[in-house]
Amino acid sequence: MNPENEPQEEPRRAAFATKKGEIVIRPHEYDGIQEYDQKLPNWWLLTFFGAILFYLAYWLVYYQAGWIKTDTEKVTAAITDIQNQKKKALEETLATLDDQTLVQEWANNPEIVASGQQIYSTVCIGCHGPDLDAPLKLGLSLVDGEWKYGNRPMDIFKLINEGSPADSTGMAPTGAKMVPWGATYSPKQIAEMVAFIISKNPDDFKEFQN
Amino acid sequence: MTITYDDKTPRHFMIASIVWGLVGMLVGVIAASQLSWWQANGKFLESITFGLVNTDGLSFLTYGRLRPLHTNAVIFAFVGNMMFAGVYYSTQRLCKARTASDLLSKIHFWGWQAIILGAAITLPLGLTQSKEYAELIWPLDIAVTLVWVVFAINFFWTLAKRNEPSLYVALWFYIATIITVAMLYIVNNLQIPTSLTHSYPIFGGLQDALVQWWYGHNAVAFFLTTPILGIMYYFVPKAANRPVYSYRLSIIHFWALVFIYIWAGPHHLLNTALPQWLQTLGMLFSLMLWAPSWGGMLNGLLTLRGGWAQLRTDPVIKFFAAGVTFYGMSTFEGPLLSIRAVNELSHYTDWTIGHVHSGALGWNGLMAAGMFYWLAPRLWKTELWSKSLANLHFWTALVGILLYVAAMWTAGVTQGLMLGQLNEQGTGLKYEFVDTLLAIRWPYYFRTFGGTLYLIGFAFCAFNIWKTARTGTAVNGTAEITPLEKEKKDFMGLKPIFTHKSTQHVFCVILFAILWHFAPSGGDWAAFAMVIVFAVLAVRAFRKNVKGWADFHDKLLENYIPLTVLAFIAVAIGGAVQILPTLMVDRAKNIEGRLQERYTPLELAGRDLYIAEGCYNCHSQMIRTLVPDIMRYGRVGVADDYSHLGESIYDFPFQWGSKRTGPDLAREGGPLVEGNKHVRLGKRDNLWHFNHFLNPRQLSPGSNMPAYPWLFENETDFKALPGKIAAQTRLGVPYPTMTRDEIEQNAREQALAIAETLKDSAFLPSREDLSGDELRNYLANRQVIAMIAYMQKLGTYTDSGLKKEKPDTFDPDQQRQARETPAPVETARR
Repeated sequence: MNPENEPQEEPRRAAFATKKGEIVIRPHEYDGIQEYDQKLPNWWLLTFFGAILFYLAYWLVYYQAGWIKTDTEKVTAAITDIQNQKKKALEETLATLDDQTLVQEWANNPEIVASGQQIYSTVCIGCHGPDLDAPLKLGLSLVDGEWKYGNRPMDIFKLINEGSPADSTGMAPTGAKMVPWGATYSPKQIAEMVAFIISKNPDDFKEFQN
Repeated sequence: MTITYDDKTPRHFMIASIVWGLVGMLVGVIAASQLSWWQANGKFLESITFGLVNTDGLSFLTYGRLRPLHTNAVIFAFVGNMMFAGVYYSTQRLCKARTASDLLSKIHFWGWQAIILGAAITLPLGLTQSKEYAELIWPLDIAVTLVWVVFAINFFWTLAKRNEPSLYVALWFYIATIITVAMLYIVNNLQIPTSLTHSYPIFGGLQDALVQWWYGHNAVAFFLTTPILGIMYYFVPKAANRPVYSYRLSIIHFWALVFIYIWAGPHHLLNTALPQWLQTLGMLFSLMLWAPSWGGMLNGLLTLRGGWAQLRTDPVIKFFAAGVTFYGMSTFEGPLLSIRAVNELSHYTDWTIGHVHSGALGWNGLMAAGMFYWLAPRLWKTELWSKSLANLHFWTALVGILLYVAAMWTAGVTQGLMLGQLNEQGTGLKYEFVDTLLAIRWPYYFRTFGGTLYLIGFAFCAFNIWKTARTGTAVNGTAEITPLEKEKKDFMGLKPIFTHKSTQHVFCVILFAILWHFAPSGGDWAAFAMVIVFAVLAVRAFRKNVKGWADFHDKLLENYIPLTVLAFIAVAIGGAVQILPTLMVDRAKNIEGRLQERYTPLELAGRDLYIAEGCYNCHSQMIRTLVPDIMRYGRVGVADDYSHLGESIYDFPFQWGSKRTGPDLAREGGPLVEGNKHVRLGKRDNLWHFNHFLNPRQLSPGSNMPAYPWLFENETDFKALPGKIAAQTRLGVPYPTMTRDEIEQNAREQALAIAETLKDSAFLPSREDLSGDELRNYLANRQVIAMIAYMQKLGTYTDSGLKKEKPDTFDPDQQRQARETPAPVETARR
């Protein structure tokens, strides 16, 4: 196609095209390419100017005026909230937990043990090994009958929740310690891990059976 | 007068683009499969050679080294060559002049191919700068710069010799591409070499992050977008045989696009330690970019309006229509992802990867194919060999892209949501990182499948073009032209661009807008008022003299030098305003109270290995100011344990990362072991890292990290350390004075001390014969020890009491803080 190019006294330009419905074709041709000079769609203009106005408003409200808390203030407060929540949840869970309940109820419930095992095989397995015997010596064996930090189920709960005690020497030679898993897992989940460990060492916790 | 165009150069570039395109996409498919199937990092060779090759992984095949090869091949080799083919073909015709110098064209073509070959060799060898899309080592950087200058000379020389008074919109985009890429590439690659293959960038930490993403974002803008828009403006109306939709839309969207695009870089660093004002600018400019981007889409799609019938018959139109549509889609998604709240979820996940692929596969890939199918019959004077094969290519590619993008959305959103999910008691996070990886296994398979489909489609294209070329003969186009009298073009000097009312008004608005952001308390409101006043004045001046302003722009188009200078000013402003203040702020005090501990020579060696192995492709070192980030990666009980600026002040280059296929490593390190001056203990023990590099899955079941057996064989390059420390000292890292011997000695001592902690418990399958002191002495020289040294040092810092007397003039965040807390100003905080 080759639309005709009527000769005009004055080349029709932008101003002319604003008249509604008028489609202007530019007089010039580049390697056979012609150009219309259509009016810009209103919705496009709205988007463009809208974004610019949004810029002005956002900067004034969120940045300049100082009405809104900064990121760091917000996030620090949120983290503190969660820490308080954690404290509360721990107190609530501890109120329902003792050595006997862990052994008699938790460790005898296959569903709970399975949940504990699920967590064990995601994170604990790295240092304590698939068979709990710590073949890589990254952690202590959990099936050798020795409970270095206390042999009561609640001692184990505390150990997992808070990590190796501050005065422990850790693993030789660097003194590596277990991290406090309470940072990641809820008290309930930690109890599940304890249940799993008990289930793997039934003889060690006989005394709490009744 | 008859002239003959040089069509050999576009032919060559087109063939090169297709060949490298196949390579780049194949590498992409391999890299994709490595993420869902770790054996693809080399282990698979064991089964396919029936045990002849016995390895857990091959260095040059690992994801960390292949991913940069993939991105560089697709960007610079595939799209680069495609762009040059289109530019050389269309520029000659739009200028009615043959390309100025055949020799320069030749140097450009062969030089570029040599660089690509260099990249294809060096990147798998682990020779890299680690800055994304700027990984090439410094000798190649210099080569790229020189070849780019050759291209620029050839291009502008052709403009100067043109027989067409006015420059068509395609050429404006080419001009913007050439000058901006040159600026970005040079600044982002400023560095101090320490050897023929290694260097440190002159920027570190925050500055490096800012410069890198100013470059990285605008590599997308000015390498993958503007030149292809230029190509769209030439080839779409040509193929559709219809006039371009709107000339004034061209003007508005061109100037808006080139001016705004450059400011959007910080949206790659949202919610990080990047100062708040930069984050805010990054987000807001990204939103403003939406309309200008869609202006390009409109001019492409609406040019086709009225010609939709061709969609059914002409594969070229099909590819162009779909390509432009994908452009519209990804330029809508871009601003969306730049909203800080959306970015919380999407950043560091596969959503971003899906986004760039809808651009790369959808926009670049389909536009390239459309151009090839249109060009081939003309360059070889024949018909396209098979229309149906081209149609098959189209549908294969389209299904491939859709699968790919949908898979990445699913993976990204799933992982983003899982990472932020609290457990049922609201006390901690519900999922381990590895859980999220396992959850997105299926999307990963689909992604590999989608990518494979796309590659197959492109192979159809390659075959089709090859057959077309075989059936025809290479010809060079000719044209009848009337030489243009000298005075009809390039008659205007530079002065009018500064004295004309139109530019003066715009400059005033911009100037006060900048002052508004930087002026201290009180001044900012005044500057804001001035912005409004000058904006109103500008609109009034325009209304009064529309014809005068339009005439000025027309005149500008007949004078390529003023046009180029004005375009350069437009692209330079954004970078200057964002980067210069960061360079002027007193760097040593801009640390938010935490000062990074210097790397020891051995730790520095480990860090360079971390970079060489491309660890940054999967691991970030940046705890964002977000609850899930702090909970997952921060230390227990430290509520403000996000990454502070000072923690990466000595990081040349920065390693904040852009994607987490593995967990963040910002707090991996820890303090020195009591009584030991060389051994540190971070989150995990040396022995853990030792076994983890050997077999990640043993310690983290389900991990897709490659094994790194060669780290246990290759020796650490202790001899290179003095040179590296010297370079770091020149960059401003306060190392104490040490002789070459002392540096080497220090590194060897530390290596021995770390190996000492492993000798009794570590087991190295490849050297079963070694144990005790023998094992220690063997390990001390190996790369794995340097790597462990680095792991244990990551993110360590000392609390700094440094206080600022008064706020820096060029830091809006400090100004703002001074406003809100009039008392003594703490070290910069947002």
